[in-house]
Amino acid sequence: MSIKIGNAPFESRVQDGIKNDFMRKAVSSAQGRFRSGRLVAAEELGNWEEWRTLGEEIRSHTLENLDYYLEQLSDEVSKRGGNVFFAQTAEEANEYIKEVVKKKEAKKIVKSKSMVTEEIGLNHALEEVGSEVIETDLGEWILQLDEDPPSHIVTPALHKDKGQIRETFAVKKGYDKSDRPEELALFAREQLRQEFLQADVGITGCNFAVAESGAITLVTNEGNARLATALPDTQISVMGMERIVPTWEELEVMVSLLTRAAVGQKLTSYVTSLTGTRLEDEVDGPEEFHLVILDNGRSKILGTEFQAALHCIRCASCINVCPVYRHVGGHAYGSIYPGPIGAVLSPLLDGYDDHKELPYASSLCGACTEACPVKIPLHEMLIRHRQIIVERENKAPKTEKMMMKGYAKWASSPAAYKMSTKVARPALKLWTKDESISSGPGPLKGWTDSRNFPAPSKQSFRAWYKERQKGGSYNGNPK
Amino acid sequence: MGIQNRESFLNNVAENLGRERRTQDVKRPEWSVNPQWDVYRDFSQDELVDVLEKQCEVIHTDFKRTNKENLVNVLAETIEGFDGNSIVAANDERNVSYGLVGLFDKLHQDGKEVHIWDPNFGNKNREFAERADVGITFSDITLAESGTVTLFNNKNNGRSISLLPRTYIAIIPKRTIVPRMTQATKQIHEANQEGHNVSSCISFITGPSNSADIEMKLIVGVHGPVNVCYVVVE
Amino acid sequence: MKVSLFITCLCDIFSTNVGKDTVEILERVGCEVDFPELQTCCGQPAYNSGYLKDSKEAMKQMMRAFRDSEYVVGPSGSCVGMLREYPEVFAGDPDWEEPAKELAAKSYELTQFLVDVIGVVDIGSTFKGRVTYHPSCHMTRILGVKDAPKALLQQVKGVELVELPIAEDCCGFGGTFAVKHAAISEQMVSEKSQHVSETNAEFLVGGDMGCLLNIGGRMAREGKKVEVMHITGILNYRQ
Repeated sequence: MSIKIGNAPFESRVQDGIKNDFMRKAVSSAQGRFRSGRLVAAEELGNWEEWRTLGEEIRSHTLENLDYYLEQLSDEVSKRGGNVFFAQTAEEANEYIKEVVKKKEAKKIVKSKSMVTEEIGLNHALEEVGSEVIETDLGEWILQLDEDPPSHIVTPALHKDKGQIRETFAVKKGYDKSDRPEELALFAREQLRQEFLQADVGITGCNFAVAESGAITLVTNEGNARLATALPDTQISVMGMERIVPTWEELEVMVSLLTRAAVGQKLTSYVTSLTGTRLEDEVDGPEEFHLVILDNGRSKILGTEFQAALHCIRCASCINVCPVYRHVGGHAYGSIYPGPIGAVLSPLLDGYDDHKELPYASSLCGACTEACPVKIPLHEMLIRHRQIIVERENKAPKTEKMMMKGYAKWASSPAAYKMSTKVARPALKLWTKDESISSGPGPLKGWTDSRNFPAPSKQSFRAWYKERQKGGSYNGNPK
Repeated sequence: MGIQNRESFLNNVAENLGRERRTQDVKRPEWSVNPQWDVYRDFSQDELVDVLEKQCEVIHTDFKRTNKENLVNVLAETIEGFDGNSIVAANDERNVSYGLVGLFDKLHQDGKEVHIWDPNFGNKNREFAERADVGITFSDITLAESGTVTLFNNKNNGRSISLLPRTYIAIIPKRTIVPRMTQATKQIHEANQEGHNVSSCISFITGPSNSADIEMKLIVGVHGPVNVCYVVVE
Repeated sequence: MKVSLFITCLCDIFSTNVGKDTVEILERVGCEVDFPELQTCCGQPAYNSGYLKDSKEAMKQMMRAFRDSEYVVGPSGSCVGMLREYPEVFAGDPDWEEPAKELAAKSYELTQFLVDVIGVVDIGSTFKGRVTYHPSCHMTRILGVKDAPKALLQQVKGVELVELPIAEDCCGFGGTFAVKHAAISEQMVSEKSQHVSETNAEFLVGGDMGCLLNIGGRMAREGKKVEVMHITGILNYRQ
């Protein structure tokens, strides 16, 4: 897997999403929970806006000095016995990790949930060298057994119901109990505990690296990331190069923002900060540690008007408030990064060719921007993407371009504009019935397929105003 | 292996940022706001205990309050309550002053298996922890706001103790309680600046493991402990 | 106080009563209203679709039209929100940056103007009915006007104001979005319509005609009896 998922065209993915009643119900109720959780958590703090300001300042300072902090981080990791590999591309990262795994002759690899390893398609690469890779996050494990991509960056199996999950467990793992979530989770615990105990290598992502001391911090609830880093002898952590903070003091702020924005928790069950290899006489933890720092298109975003997109801490709060996401679901985006942040990031990391529809999959309502704990101006970035698609990539439809040329002429010429206020009504007369249009021509059709459109008023406002100046009146009210 | 590809990688970062590479003299700015320090500012230690107790309801964690004299009884009772027949505990220097040595003897006499983490036993420690019913550690710093115990794991306090058994009991000396994570990370930051190596693993643990991955329904107890009890000691 | 009315193209052509009510409301609170005839459209349809160059043509026309105005007031959070973004659009443009800043600084949405500039919340209106209010996205999030419309509605005698569930959710209008992604927009507006029905309100009120045409058009298609009104219709009602 890589950033792009599936080959179906955007429109058909949207239709699949809209028709998927279970998914939509699940997403809608999840959004409700996320929303209230986040709002309650923010309210408890009282000064959420200050927190957001602080979060933005920290992210912005860190990105502005990214080379400095990454150098410091790698020095510190190295001092603590860790190896650091800077990977420019997904291929370089995968090759390096494959080499480590081959050298270790690792048969079994346990992974904790990580979007960045999804992004580079690591599982697939590791299977090529004959290792068994086991996802250990409950949601990811379900998807892995079912060979399905994630539809949400925090709760990846959001689109599945417990019946489907029971079925998957039954077919793939011989499960024979009920579809109660507790029972399903217990089964996963038992199955995966054995995998953890036998695994040769543990692979994790990284929520935040702490530059000053070389710590890799993982923010989780299930405990699988702790197991994956405590038990196997080799640990490999993969981080997007922007996932870093200067010191422990900023770590704390970012974690506080992340857990609240993501799930409305003050802290998740486990916030685990891991530094280098295990120390002398320690039993738990890896004897060999590798940190892979990944660029994969990120550096191209630096120094551009999209730089703030790299402030993202993957909390998914933009996804959780997005009404478009609610109705089409994660898979419709055709990217492992769905929702508003996905619509911003996917074209940046993976090009416009495969993702040019995404910036338009938004009503620009701004709910994402308002929810973002680090104040990424997401909806403004979507507009900027559209500008690039129109003006630089030249990928906009011809008819749209002509219409917009016409628009510019109309809106820059008071005479043309005034004329249109007079002719709008007669021009639409053919389609008008009872002051309403229920089946409109041309671009209106999309609208009138599902809603009525009003007929232009009998007299334009400006015409009325002229009359009023000559002594006409209106006074009071419309009915 | 060491560090690979760093120069070209970071030079490229600097180039895209449109400036020379920065290798020194980067200072953290004064942030315009610092709301993290306002949370429970000026709360007394007793008030913080109350905050912690309340938060335990949210995080599905049992909460007990006792003093040093009664600690052994409270722990014995708690272990019994969780059907604990095998117990793994950290080899903490506080075990003596808090009377835990006596507790372990008593448990042993009651026919229970007790293992105190010992680096000399290597992987045997972990094997025991894997089949133990209960893990016990002290909290090094306790965060009232989130209901979090902080463990600086080391050779005497293996990561497995608070992770592998079904039940985890944290002993919280009252003076370890601070308002929130802010105070804990400040300590770590300062220790690091003074040249002390940070632990290979710092665990911030907030109640039992859980997941909402199936239909967003909260399941308490996934890969880590299913039950967690905090015992605050005056 | 001298106020220039920014009518917005939707209200100029489709919802002229909104303009008429706006004029009368402003006059009621003591403003001297004029209507600069050179005004057209704020540029948003092109701007939001990515046609920056084309949108700037419209914006320049608006700056020319309102050059001499003291205040510019319009009955739309979205369109006024667009005017307020001009300085960013023209940042660094030697000819237009200053006019953009000037226009942005003197432009207000109507309810915002009444509450924040004039300082009134009760303009002596009476309107009988059960009313729910849809806070449009651009009004609240782009322009930052969250309380003024409700503060005004609460003072109208006879209005029973009921809370719209998940009111802050977008109705699915989004300008060209409603046409370009009609299928998604349809789902969004259906949900909004459902929420309106849950309130048992007789009137749905809002401050942006685009959203109201969208929700109203959907509810009409669904055969629902709820009457959709711009907030000016209520504020200018005296019985």
